[in-house]
Amino acid sequence: MSKLSRGSACVTALLALALGVGTCGADEDGGGDAAAGKVKVGAGITSEPCPGGAADRGCIYLGILSDLTSGPFAQLAVPITDAQEDFWKRVNDQGGIAGKYDVNVTKYTRDNKYNPQEHVAKLREIEPKILALAQSLGTPMTLAGLPLMKRGDLVAVPATWWSGWSFDDDGLVLESGYSYCGEALNGLDYAADEFGKPNRVLAVGYPGDYGGDSAAGAKIWGEANGVDVAAVKTAPNAAAGNQDAVVSAIKRQSPDVVLLATGPAEMAEIVGKAVAGGFTGEFIGSVPTFNPAVLKSQAGRAILAKYRFVAPWGPFGSDSAAHDAMSKATGGKAPANDGYTFGWMWSYPLKALLDQAAKDGDLTRAGVREAVQKTTATYEGALPDHKLGGAGENVVKQALIAKPDPKAPTGASVQKQFFTGPTAEKQEFTEACSKA
Amino acid sequence: MRGRPALVTSYEAAQAPLRTTTTRVWFTALLLFLIILPLQLDAELNSLMATAFLSAIGAIGLNLVTGWAGQVSLGHAFFIGVGAYTGAVVAGDPDGELAGLGLDMAIWLPAAGLAAALVGLAVAPLATRLRGLYLAIVTLGLVFLGGHLFREMTSVTGGAGIGREAPSLVLFGVDLETTSSIAGIALDRPMKLYLLSLALLIVLALLSKNLTRSAVGRAFAAVRDRDLAAETMGVDLTKYKLIAFTVSSFYAGIAGAMLATVTGFIEPGTYDLLLSIQFLAMVLIGGAGTLVGVLMGAAFVSLLPRIVEEVPRLLPFITAESSGGFLTTFQLQTMIYGALIVVFLIVEPRGLFGLWVRVRNYFRAWPFSY
Repeated sequence: MSKLSRGSACVTALLALALGVGTCGADEDGGGDAAAGKVKVGAGITSEPCPGGAADRGCIYLGILSDLTSGPFAQLAVPITDAQEDFWKRVNDQGGIAGKYDVNVTKYTRDNKYNPQEHVAKLREIEPKILALAQSLGTPMTLAGLPLMKRGDLVAVPATWWSGWSFDDDGLVLESGYSYCGEALNGLDYAADEFGKPNRVLAVGYPGDYGGDSAAGAKIWGEANGVDVAAVKTAPNAAAGNQDAVVSAIKRQSPDVVLLATGPAEMAEIVGKAVAGGFTGEFIGSVPTFNPAVLKSQAGRAILAKYRFVAPWGPFGSDSAAHDAMSKATGGKAPANDGYTFGWMWSYPLKALLDQAAKDGDLTRAGVREAVQKTTATYEGALPDHKLGGAGENVVKQALIAKPDPKAPTGASVQKQFFTGPTAEKQEFTEACSKA
Repeated sequence: MRGRPALVTSYEAAQAPLRTTTTRVWFTALLLFLIILPLQLDAELNSLMATAFLSAIGAIGLNLVTGWAGQVSLGHAFFIGVGAYTGAVVAGDPDGELAGLGLDMAIWLPAAGLAAALVGLAVAPLATRLRGLYLAIVTLGLVFLGGHLFREMTSVTGGAGIGREAPSLVLFGVDLETTSSIAGIALDRPMKLYLLSLALLIVLALLSKNLTRSAVGRAFAAVRDRDLAAETMGVDLTKYKLIAFTVSSFYAGIAGAMLATVTGFIEPGTYDLLLSIQFLAMVLIGGAGTLVGVLMGAAFVSLLPRIVEEVPRLLPFITAESSGGFLTTFQLQTMIYGALIVVFLIVEPRGLFGLWVRVRNYFRAWPFSY
């Protein structure tokens, strides 16, 4: 038995060591601040040039966590990511950040597969090496990563329009445009105006705060206008298999307007099957429900006839300095869909923020986080200027309505220009809709 | 042959861990190496190593029920999930939207093991009625049942596509989540997780070793080799199958809760059939019914994806992209699992452990090896 006790003594020693490791002190390790010129820098910035960047500039690394392969938004997320690469390339060509740093958004691009666990795992992997996230795709994913971002002073450009980004994020999420909640209000205001006030509205959405936010907006709209609003939850086809449950709910409840907050493939399936089943009401989609590829599917005709979607800014073919710059970046060729436009527009606030932080002489993560409250994003005429930070003082309410149009560059043209519907106008945003 | 006992008088002594001076020296060397290793690795690899250690705990659990007691279980992922969610609930924020008690790791870790063990105990009677393929199918049903529960119990799990935070690493009131420095060495979260997982693995591996060399272990083996014969000899089948399932589930629960902390976030989709198969692969590739083999199998299966990621650099026709090219790394990885299980079962049923024994015997008899 002496051998055994020797073995266990060894184990005990090891355990003690491991526990000792835990018990001895928990003092914070200072970040690796190294002075480079006058600007203070830390994690995510190197004095060596970016791969393929200007030799006389350092490099700022931004991470991207996107749905690049198997998730429900992969079709949109790839152009979003392409647009962000082009956007930052243009920034570099115009002198980078403060003329001292180029920006790299390719080295730390990872696939979150639209799965929060995958998202957090990838975030943990790249977090120590980046200054900020140039893209964090998905509401549940970004929420899952938020505690880590708060701990690490990591700001992020969202690829989501959750209403909570104006309130619950400590200013770390740099939202642009409206929220899904405001989108629902405007969408239903439009539907009431265009097709007459509905008797019944059905809100269909993914679980979590994408579908939830849209459904909450629909509920607020219903209460304000005295209209019966029901909500049905669904899931991406990868999890749910198909959308038959939604189609039968539409059939059973026969609403006048169906508000959709799903992925494009799920939208096409719902619209196609419902219309084929004799449903005559109208569909209003959230902006991520559309991808022009669905027009080539069996549901194409139904979608052209019965579906419109709300958008926070004009599609690729619109007219503004920002849209001209996009067109120049793609060499005049239209991208696969408006994901490109999203990625481009979302990037403006981060550019403004990095410029502000560089101006303040502090490009550490803490410095960038601090600069949020002082920064106003400008969108080269595509959207009104937007003050970052603050809690709910600067919620964007305006929206426009787009309609599928096979002849338009990204398969959709503007049906109704920027407007703010009466219910959206009256609504005071004081907290995340889906939490209320 | 120095240090080898002259006479072994019992099964227990014959099966004792670290029996000879050589094994003791090698074990100590390996241990020292593993303790120093995290200082040399980056955060990503430390997390990966922690995953390997924790997977080994889960695999040891499956090895007890499948490798030792011979009860094929495809339901391991379910017990892993039960452990993960028990840990998350016991540790969770009591004021949050999801169920949570806000307790320390010293409580949530045993609780995760015990909750899984209780579920294992409840399920074990199935195994007393069924065996072989039938049992495999029934335990397969557990994974589907569990999958549904995990997806729909939104107040506990957050629900499909949303998930919840994993239990936080606060042990005896000390926060292990942050970086701290000891004797001038900065220890970050992955390093602490690595050391903690290693310590847990060593303790649980020794416990399982001791269980299997006791009367219980012999009874397990008797049930595995021929249950009728075992019963004739007076082995109480019901009792030992219950023990096997319960202890196995305890290991799964501990592994589940700890594995969840590696990423820090859990989504219900994780606990699916594929996870069960991965654990089965660890046991089979490593060598069913052997401890060292299972440790090797767990390390192999956990590290394989990372190794396969390096392959595209060597073989240009395999792409790292998700689409296009002849073969993607993900497909390659899946195929390697499949191929290895087939090859090991045909060529080397004792798994990596069998290979190791052959290599060892070759050198032991050197220069007279044949």
